[in-house]
Amino acid sequence: MFAACSTPAGISGIAVIRISGNGCIEALNKIVRPVRGARGAKSLTDLEGYESLYGEIKDPDTNEVIDDVVITVFRTPHSYTGEDMAEISCHGSVAVKQEIIRLLISIGVEPAGPGQFSRTAFINGKMTLDETEAVMDVINADSKKALAAGQKIMSGALAQRIDKAESMLYEAMALIEMIVEFPEHDDTEDNEDKVKDLILKARTELQKLSDSYGMGRILSERLKIALIGIPNSGKSTLLNALSGTDKSIVTDIPGTTRDAIESNLQVRGIPVTLVDTAGITSTDDLVEKIGVERSKEVFASSDMAFILVPPNMTLEETKTRLDIPRTDVHSVVIFSKSDIGSNPEEEAIREYLSSLGVKEFISLSGKDFSNMEAMEDSIESFYNSCGNGSSEGLLITNGRHMALIGKALQFIDLAISAVNDGMGVETASSVLRAALDEMGQITGKTVSADLADTIFGRFCIGK
Amino acid sequence: MELAKALTGEHIYEAGAFDVAVIGAGHAGCEAAHAAAKLGLSTVLFTLHLDAVANLPCNPSVGGTAKGQLVREIDALGGIMGIVADRCAIQMRMLNRSKGPAVFSPRAQMDRSDYSVVMKGLLEETPNLTLRQAHITDILTEDGKVAGVKTEAGGIYRARAVVLSSGTYMEARTIRGEVIVESGPDGLPRSMGLSESLKEEGIPLLRFKTGTPVRVNARSVDFSKMDIQNGEDDIPPFSFAEEMKGRKVSPVSEQIPCHSVWTTEETRKVIKDNMDRSPLYSGVITGTGPRYCPSIEDKFMRFADKERHLIFVEPMGRRTQELYLQGFSTSLPEEVQEKMVKSLPGMADAVIQRSAYAIEYDLIDPTSLKLSLESRIVEGLFSAGQVNGSSGYEEAAGQGIIAGINAAMKVLGKDPVIIDRADGYIGVLIDDLVTKGTNEPYRMMTSRAEYRLFLRQDNADRRLTPIGHKIGLVDGDRFRMFEDKISKIEEEKLRLNETYIGPSKELEEYLEPLGQTLPKSGVSLAELIKRPGVTYDGLAFVDKDRPELPSYVTKSCEVDLKYEGYLALEMGKIRKFKQLESKSLPADIDYEDVKGLRIEARQKLNAMRPENIGRASRISGVSPADCEVLLVYLEALRRSDNE
Repeated sequence: MFAACSTPAGISGIAVIRISGNGCIEALNKIVRPVRGARGAKSLTDLEGYESLYGEIKDPDTNEVIDDVVITVFRTPHSYTGEDMAEISCHGSVAVKQEIIRLLISIGVEPAGPGQFSRTAFINGKMTLDETEAVMDVINADSKKALAAGQKIMSGALAQRIDKAESMLYEAMALIEMIVEFPEHDDTEDNEDKVKDLILKARTELQKLSDSYGMGRILSERLKIALIGIPNSGKSTLLNALSGTDKSIVTDIPGTTRDAIESNLQVRGIPVTLVDTAGITSTDDLVEKIGVERSKEVFASSDMAFILVPPNMTLEETKTRLDIPRTDVHSVVIFSKSDIGSNPEEEAIREYLSSLGVKEFISLSGKDFSNMEAMEDSIESFYNSCGNGSSEGLLITNGRHMALIGKALQFIDLAISAVNDGMGVETASSVLRAALDEMGQITGKTVSADLADTIFGRFCIGK
Repeated sequence: MELAKALTGEHIYEAGAFDVAVIGAGHAGCEAAHAAAKLGLSTVLFTLHLDAVANLPCNPSVGGTAKGQLVREIDALGGIMGIVADRCAIQMRMLNRSKGPAVFSPRAQMDRSDYSVVMKGLLEETPNLTLRQAHITDILTEDGKVAGVKTEAGGIYRARAVVLSSGTYMEARTIRGEVIVESGPDGLPRSMGLSESLKEEGIPLLRFKTGTPVRVNARSVDFSKMDIQNGEDDIPPFSFAEEMKGRKVSPVSEQIPCHSVWTTEETRKVIKDNMDRSPLYSGVITGTGPRYCPSIEDKFMRFADKERHLIFVEPMGRRTQELYLQGFSTSLPEEVQEKMVKSLPGMADAVIQRSAYAIEYDLIDPTSLKLSLESRIVEGLFSAGQVNGSSGYEEAAGQGIIAGINAAMKVLGKDPVIIDRADGYIGVLIDDLVTKGTNEPYRMMTSRAEYRLFLRQDNADRRLTPIGHKIGLVDGDRFRMFEDKISKIEEEKLRLNETYIGPSKELEEYLEPLGQTLPKSGVSLAELIKRPGVTYDGLAFVDKDRPELPSYVTKSCEVDLKYEGYLALEMGKIRKFKQLESKSLPADIDYEDVKGLRIEARQKLNAMRPENIGRASRISGVSPADCEVLLVYLEALRRSDNE
């Protein structure tokens, strides 16, 4: 059974989450409290194909109601994939979707793999031979998106934590292998205690990760947008204007004066993190230089960047003070403070910045909001272009990560009880391997190869 | 070389025609030749020296962790290594006995000269098999297929399939410090010409290095300064047939003990002072050496914080005083070796009988092979053993039996026999070699197996004997004994599950020292056996009506029950694994045409041509999404075939 959100990402009125797999209707039934169903049906399982039921999705552990939903069921073979399917129409907020996906995972539904709906439909004869290549393309495109989303997630604190847990488990496995594989080299007395200790520590790390997912901390389905410009180019005004157009909360995370300032806000329902940088300017001042380096980093790690050029900035200043690197980051140049007047060198500046890879140019005033829409359009269209995409990928990738971490934790618990029950470290190693297999699907490591390297790297063995 | 061209050469004669020709009578070649002959094919086995058949040029032992499992698997398939090892054992042990039965590994010290003689005799008695001392210099082909071999003496042997099992002999040279000798192991002649012949056919070659330690005379050694290590007799023989016939290994009193010593500060000093004379560090040796089997100087260099290393002193036979120093392999010069040996406890006056050496040799890049061990480049040419990049007698024999079987299958026009990673260590070994390749001599380790609780030494027959019987390598009598054993195991497990025991004073007295509490109500024997420390034998007092059963039945019941939950978990994984292994990829796919694949995957798949999606998924550079694409492609192929 697998599921994915099949409406575009971001915040919309409603969203549709699709589930496929024989038995998925019965499984889903466990987290639905029916209110009213077609033909007076009292339960999801009473529904025939193409019938719907209105009810609540709730967490069976806490009885907390997550959302009011309408669920339509499809019975095999009369569905898109040819398997039993259900479509949950829920409210469109990220939190609701994330919670529903979390609950689905808890009842054994896996987040859909790349192109899994199309592939299943194809394998079950729901698509024609002519569509073969199209299906392959979907798998290919999906996996690229998933990879990108994975990389985004895998940078930062999460990655460090997974790495830490993983390397402790490898260490534990290597010790077990040493004990089991080279019994002649009997200088391994306290190794079993070390093994236990390592497993427990790894478990703690993973539990923290799993908890943080539950609280929605991992999910960073946000578009990171850098605001770049010399001081006084209108960045703050713009920021205020932008957040003012939306009723969202602006939280400033203060740093040192030279640090980037981040604000979380929503632009047309799209969650955005705006990063107000110190400004990329060439300078000889050491303190300022550090700030400038930071700005460059922010720029490189953003999904999108707005570069502000005020009316009084010359072409020469654009070259020397803005010091924009040639880049793949989707960059939009804003001729700011258009309420004051237009930039006399606009044409030449456009030409120069185009040569660095900038594709979009807009004129904008922060004061009277004239053409503020153009900036929002620009954010929305970029979001949609990668979208459906990058953030959907994130939601699903996150879900998959959580599912994998959850399974890894189960195996680790089994390993701990194997050791405690005196089943021997070799039994623990069988389940630890299973745990590492799950984590390897996040980190890309394959147990056999990495284990051999760990063993050979650590131990002196042999004839 | 083309057969037709070879026939026009000078001093050439037609020496014979066989179904299968095997080059090299080491552990791989002996198994290969025996299997092919046993399957009814006329087979010739060539060796450079008939007195060195199944030579044990390094460690005089068979088995050990993972290796013991391999020997049991070879035996389960109908191979001969276990039978010969049982006959020549001078000390037997079950390693890991203090751990669970899942990792028990049998190991036996061999009488080295017996081993060679017994194996030679067994092969000579095998119908359809011809032994021939000859130096093979060329592989002969006809229309891209193998057609025979040519000897140094000008003999042309036609063959419909050839198994190359030339070990560490191809273009070999041995190294002791600055002294380099063009020689095979143990002073035997090296094999020349074959490398050139393989290159001519377009087969990619690699060069590896390995080594062997010093041998000393036991009369010059003071054993009182060493720790003694005795054998055990409460263990099964390697051979399942012998085990089922009730054969027991020799009592400990008739076995010969081993000893162990630690290296000393002096050893370390001698090595450090002479490191500049080590060919490994001076750059004389260019071949890649094994990480798991480092020379002693390598150990001191790489693990500088370790002050001492353990050395095992092993007897080489009943009628010789020669001792093997396990863990003391080196390529330092002979005069340094003298000082090193004398630095060991009890060896101040040790007399060296053979010096240690490193050996470099040519081998085939195993990624040019199919899972059947047939070359992808020359049809009908199989290879097995160290020439495929492995290390160890058991690893060689495991490949040998598969190469022999599949050479026979080729001649018979049948599908090859593939042992996969869930069937046995043999499968893990072959799949690792041909799919991932190796950049050092590959040693089997239990950690390389994904399903270690299932791949045990005690159930190797349950995993593989049906396959051996199906192809005709395991004969009817033995198979009936096997079937009888299986049904006894199943019956007894059923009985253990259905026999309930009530709480009693004596049960409490048995459980208490094991840290187990007395169950409050009746509990099945099976449930009791699952508890830590509880054994089948130990429960005899509450299970008075139990049937009289051999220990190989009761031990299997015990393991099956003890690990039931964990085994179920592995079996679930195995089912998933088998699903992908069963999705065959046609041999003629042009992966360039499969547009959904990433470019790297297309290149890798075209180069490796995996037999199925499972193997494809293990090739580095092929992603899970690529495998999804392949599944769609296979489905499209199937449908267009139907239309």
